[in-house]
Amino acid sequence: MKFITNNNLFNLFGILQKDYDIFIPVKRENNRFYTRYMPQMETEGDKEISIGEVRSFEPLKIFYTRARETVAEGFSTELPKSNPKPFCIVGAKACDLKGFMIQDFVFKEGDFQDPFYIDARENNLVISADCTCTLDTCFCLALDVKPYPEKSFDLNLSQVSNGFVVEAGSQKGQGLIDANPSLFSDPMETVVTERDDQRKKVTAEVKKNLKEHGIPNQDRFEGVIEKNYESEIWGDEAKTCVECGACNTICPTCHCFLLYDQMDEKRMERLRVWDSCMIKDFATVAAGVNPRPWLWMRLRNRFEKKFDFFPKQSGTYACTGCGRCITACPAKIDIRKVLQRLVKDVQKQPV
Amino acid sequence: MSKNNPYRPIETQVLEVITETPTIKTVRLKPKEEILFRTGQFIELTVPGVGEAPFTPSSRPWIKNEMEVTVMSVGKVTEKIHQLKKGDTVGLRGPFGNGYPLDDFIGKEVLVVGGGCGFAPIRSLMYEIFEKSAQFKKLFFRGGCKTPKDFLYKKETSEWVKRKDINVVLTVDTLDQGDGEWKGKVGLVTTILDDIKMDVKSGIAIVCGPPIMMKFTTQKLIKMGFRDANIYLSMERNMSCGIGKCGHCRIGPYYVCKDGPVFQYSAVKSFPDVWD
Repeated sequence: MKFITNNNLFNLFGILQKDYDIFIPVKRENNRFYTRYMPQMETEGDKEISIGEVRSFEPLKIFYTRARETVAEGFSTELPKSNPKPFCIVGAKACDLKGFMIQDFVFKEGDFQDPFYIDARENNLVISADCTCTLDTCFCLALDVKPYPEKSFDLNLSQVSNGFVVEAGSQKGQGLIDANPSLFSDPMETVVTERDDQRKKVTAEVKKNLKEHGIPNQDRFEGVIEKNYESEIWGDEAKTCVECGACNTICPTCHCFLLYDQMDEKRMERLRVWDSCMIKDFATVAAGVNPRPWLWMRLRNRFEKKFDFFPKQSGTYACTGCGRCITACPAKIDIRKVLQRLVKDVQKQPV
Repeated sequence: MSKNNPYRPIETQVLEVITETPTIKTVRLKPKEEILFRTGQFIELTVPGVGEAPFTPSSRPWIKNEMEVTVMSVGKVTEKIHQLKKGDTVGLRGPFGNGYPLDDFIGKEVLVVGGGCGFAPIRSLMYEIFEKSAQFKKLFFRGGCKTPKDFLYKKETSEWVKRKDINVVLTVDTLDQGDGEWKGKVGLVTTILDDIKMDVKSGIAIVCGPPIMMKFTTQKLIKMGFRDANIYLSMERNMSCGIGKCGHCRIGPYYVCKDGPVFQYSAVKSFPDVWD
């Protein structure tokens, strides 16, 4: 465990910039958006860098399976080079790091691997950060995610007075500390206490959210989809859905995509484009048959994938409790309420 | 960076386009790199700039440098495939999926039921079965199409009828004017299964055809006494990547592209959308 001052952290960014494109959350109104870090950005008045605080607006997947990415050029065996320079993500939160568990399972496991995802995962740097506050929609604890990272980072920053407590989570992270000893110092006991108190405070805030919204813990999710498969919950909840797919796009675990081909005079290009299972023709076959013709079936499918398929396949619920889909949904479909209803309806059923 | 790119199509030359029926064509292809598939596995065929679609090859699996796919014109990509000409360049990816577990059928009585465009994967399967036909206890084939002019591979199937190692019956749903030459039966494929003399308790049934045909054939087979686990179906789902990543073809805990496209009925029967 180390300590780094605010100034030295920006000095570290200056060093990292030689090898990495750095992206850092910048606050605009009440949201935090990943923005390319520029030298002296921290001193510009109009840009409020927000390393701590709470999750960014965008999910971390935007850097790893980008919304549109070229995955083949003609018949060439050369891989299209999509990231000219490795990137460094600063301020990723624990909920987003849990998203890696699902994305890694999809793109790195199995008989076939996605070389673009693997490249992005191997050649990047993740400097995560503790949450220092919560949003009303945060419910990470229900999914066994704490509001501070415990794994899946190279370095983690815990914001304290005048700087950050730093922990290395990988050899690469430790290497950064070792290579720049002048930037780091041993933390005083008071700042470690400050960090621990902060963690306790934010954890208590999330617990309060869980209680206020009646959000069940994931240990009660087992079998809820199967038991509620024919429930009226799906029809009720899908009533207001406008099929925009925002819940899919904004979700750190949603991974579905479409291979899309385009061509000009001579050049053929294949793109991997994010797709949304809420859109009507997501599963329609060429001859026109759609296994999920009704919106409520597609809503059920979304929950089935997250709370039945993934736990069975990968051992993890494909939800991080980040709450982004709650905020993004123009129809006010609330995942917390759906989960609450699913769990409740299971309890109602006779044994 | 990892060298294998599962999204890259292999440059492939169109050797021949054969018109099978008014809506179905077979395309003979020569990929620049050898593709070795197991019967029942599928490939993704790219029409440059238009897109890809999945097909189970209809040709002999042991031929590495050529492949045939039989395509019904139903959508954007298949329409373009029908417009292909000898010498055109297309792309191939694959093979993907599980294919038929043929070794598990050795020593058993096997019934193959094909319907319409489902003859395509079935032809590849039959080539393989005939190669080792002595190793099966009994072989039956039942095939049906809408009308005689919708029948695929007329030359091959008429040869199958003459073979001694397999009992073959063909049927059409209806006869149109000018179909007088038809020598097979008339009626749905489910009506030509009753006379099959096989041990249904241990027999294997392989069914491939349009969803509605697979549904009623499966129901009939169960009524006849076939075990759920001995009925092998070819599932059709929207597929994009073919490698279990893109999420389109999920059914229950499976991806059809990765865990299928061949499934035992026992594995999929509990899913309400199995026949969609």
